[in-house]
Amino acid sequence: MREGELGKTYNDGEVIFKEGEKGEVMYVIQAGKVRIKRDSTSGELTLGVLETGEIFGEMALFDRLPRSATVVALGGARILSVDRKKLFPTISRDPTLLFKILETMSQRIRKLDDEIGKLNKRRSELRIVCSNIEKTCDTILQEARRIIVADSGSVMLLDEKEGYLSIKAAFGLKSDTKIRLKIGEGIAGDVLKTGRAELIDNVLTDLRFLPGTTKVTSMLCAPIGCEGRNFGVINMSYASENVFSANDLKLIRALAVYASIAIQNEQNFFNLKNATDDLLRRATLPDAP
Amino acid sequence: MKRSLDSDQYTLQDGANIAVVGGGPTGSFFSIFALKMAKMIGREITVTIFEPKDFTKDGPGGCNRCGGIISELLVQTLAVEGINLPDTVVRKGINSYRLHTNQGSVFIATPSLEKTIATVYRGGGPKGTLGQDMESFDHFLLNQAIHEGAVHKTFRVDRIDFRNGRPLLFSKNVEIMQADLVVGAFGVNSSSGKIFEGLGFGYREPSNVTAAIAEISMDEDVVVGRFGNSIQLFLLPDKGIKFGAMIPKGPYVTLCILGTDVGARTVDDFVSKPVVRAVLPESVPYRIACRCLPKMNVGAPKKPFTNRVVLCGDAGSTRLFKDGLGAAYIMGKAAAKTAVFEGVGAHNFKRNYLPVYNGIVFDNYFGRFLYFVIDRYRKTTILTKAMLKVVEKEQRDPKNGKILSSILWDMFTGNERYKNVFLKSVKIKMHIDMWEGLIKSLIGENR
Ligand SMILES: Cc1cc2nc3c(=O)[nH]c(=O)nc-3n(C[C@H](O)[C@H](O)[C@H](O)COP(=O)(O)OP(=O)(O)OC[C@H]3O[C@@H](n4cnc5c(N)ncnc54)[C@H](O)[C@@H]3O)c2cc1C
Repeated sequence: MREGELGKTYNDGEVIFKEGEKGEVMYVIQAGKVRIKRDSTSGELTLGVLETGEIFGEMALFDRLPRSATVVALGGARILSVDRKKLFPTISRDPTLLFKILETMSQRIRKLDDEIGKLNKRRSELRIVCSNIEKTCDTILQEARRIIVADSGSVMLLDEKEGYLSIKAAFGLKSDTKIRLKIGEGIAGDVLKTGRAELIDNVLTDLRFLPGTTKVTSMLCAPIGCEGRNFGVINMSYASENVFSANDLKLIRALAVYASIAIQNEQNFFNLKNATDDLLRRATLPDAP
Repeated sequence: MKRSLDSDQYTLQDGANIAVVGGGPTGSFFSIFALKMAKMIGREITVTIFEPKDFTKDGPGGCNRCGGIISELLVQTLAVEGINLPDTVVRKGINSYRLHTNQGSVFIATPSLEKTIATVYRGGGPKGTLGQDMESFDHFLLNQAIHEGAVHKTFRVDRIDFRNGRPLLFSKNVEIMQADLVVGAFGVNSSSGKIFEGLGFGYREPSNVTAAIAEISMDEDVVVGRFGNSIQLFLLPDKGIKFGAMIPKGPYVTLCILGTDVGARTVDDFVSKPVVRAVLPESVPYRIACRCLPKMNVGAPKKPFTNRVVLCGDAGSTRLFKDGLGAAYIMGKAAAKTAVFEGVGAHNFKRNYLPVYNGIVFDNYFGRFLYFVIDRYRKTTILTKAMLKVVEKEQRDPKNGKILSSILWDMFTGNERYKNVFLKSVKIKMHIDMWEGLIKSLIGENR
């Protein structure tokens, strides 16, 4: 970008205006790009990227409401500001000056309509994917059964808000599918807390063990999680003691890694869906598009 | 009944032909907006721009000679219109100017220090400018018009007749086009006004004065170092010279002298003045690469239209001594709006174009008064000193209302209409400050 030409130069990431500020000027990009962003419950959302020649910040001039988004320079940008005190007298003398602004605004409404349409479609798709988190857990368990011989097993996930583990998929369990364990409670709760996979030859000698209606003696339990944050466990058990080997422990550890990736993906989808819902809820026209 | 027939007769229909005589800023602005507006209402019209000049050529031959300052207001308005001046056209962004007088100088800056004024060349640059990756303002605008769909022909129109009530254009005695509307956008620097005077509807060429322009060539680093992003403005107590300006543009500085008594020797006399010499580099060489004495419109003709003919830009009314390009935009667009949305009859222009035209004429009365006042200030030492003191004080204290600074800024940058500058000048606070400055100057106080 050549220095010395029209407008004011903003460095990468520099804020041009902030959400909530009063808007006195609109802007025209002379060179470079800007990013329009907004904070949402699920983090920062990029609403759009504008390029050389495009205008932004025009809505606040007309509705006199605070800026509804933050705009930052993307990789450096040179911006020309147009003061409302100058613009409105000019518009009053020549209302056709609004033609271009109206054209830009209507293009943005069209784009927004289009995006809302796409987001709605994506949201229904996500609903299908998200309702399948149990299915993913079940697939993980099936895989576990294929490589490790066991007569019961489960995948438990942590409800982060409530702080307990509950069963998302199981086999061979009787009425125990409703069980809930706090973090640190029982063997599974403890494995979740420590993040260490365990092989227990006889759970009856383990003080942490909380008996249920299903007969369990041997047990494998591995944490599911990544980057030091555990969000579930995978359990495999057998009615008789000393059934599992060190190799089984290795296998269940490896499987837990894959399980954590699969479940993480599901959760990302879930967050994306929330973000989408949030965006749709707040999809009033932003000040900048 | 007659009116509705007239209305239909003068409404541009699909297939209408518009001839634009002159492809300077006014002709291009007219064409851009006429085509845009016609598209808006789904009308198919043809706009042909007749312009023999090649705006890529260096020297006066390729140039519609002027200072090349695009006012803040025009830069911003064009940006809102979607016409953004690219970096290849803008030679320098301006955020301030320094006002020089015989009694000292003051610096006046935009509050945000944002570069809101552009300096441009109107042609390929001073004589000898070759192989630069830059474009002239007029070339850029003409290309914008072509992009909108205008046809550019390099004929010089030298005669216009009427046949069956429609204008017929000739070049070198060859009929080149019959048009539904002729737009005269030929400026004041040719004899083309005579062609329109000859049509007999009462148009007279605008009255004009001669101005002087010189391109001072020096090392680009020297221009950057000495001039930065500032225009140097000279208000000196010379008879016949209203003001002079030095406008930085890459490796050149355009010297522009406006007044009522400007001639061949004006530039040399001007640069030999101590105040002016002090601005130019002493140790490094500079030379005058190009010079010209263009005419400047200072009095608009009374009758700028008839049926199927309209005059705009410098050929009609323009702003006195400043922002002629801003006026070219306003008048070109007003004519386009009238032609496309209302019609091309004299009654259409009278109702819709004349008020805008007269608005500029009227505003120039305020301009004349303001120049009269400024003349008193620049010619009276004590008033010059008082003015400098007030501006200095205003620039020092950011909380202080910068009334005089903004009056001077608007006066010379074309940022405001003269009427608004006049209204600012009657603010009582400024007069109190002026009295204070005057008294301090009289008692010789330096602060
Ligand atoms: C010394 C000086 C300094 C100035 N500085 C500034 C400044 O810094 N900023 C500013 O805003 N304004 C400035 N102006 C004013 C500005 O130059 C004019 O207002 C502006 O050029 C008007 O544009 P126009 O298109 O009406 O006319 P012009 O720019 O004169 O263009 C007229 C065009 O018509 C063509 N033409 C003429 N006759 C015919 C014909 N018969 N057939 C076909 N084509 C024809 C010519 O070739 C020319 O290209 C200055 C003027 C002068 C004299």
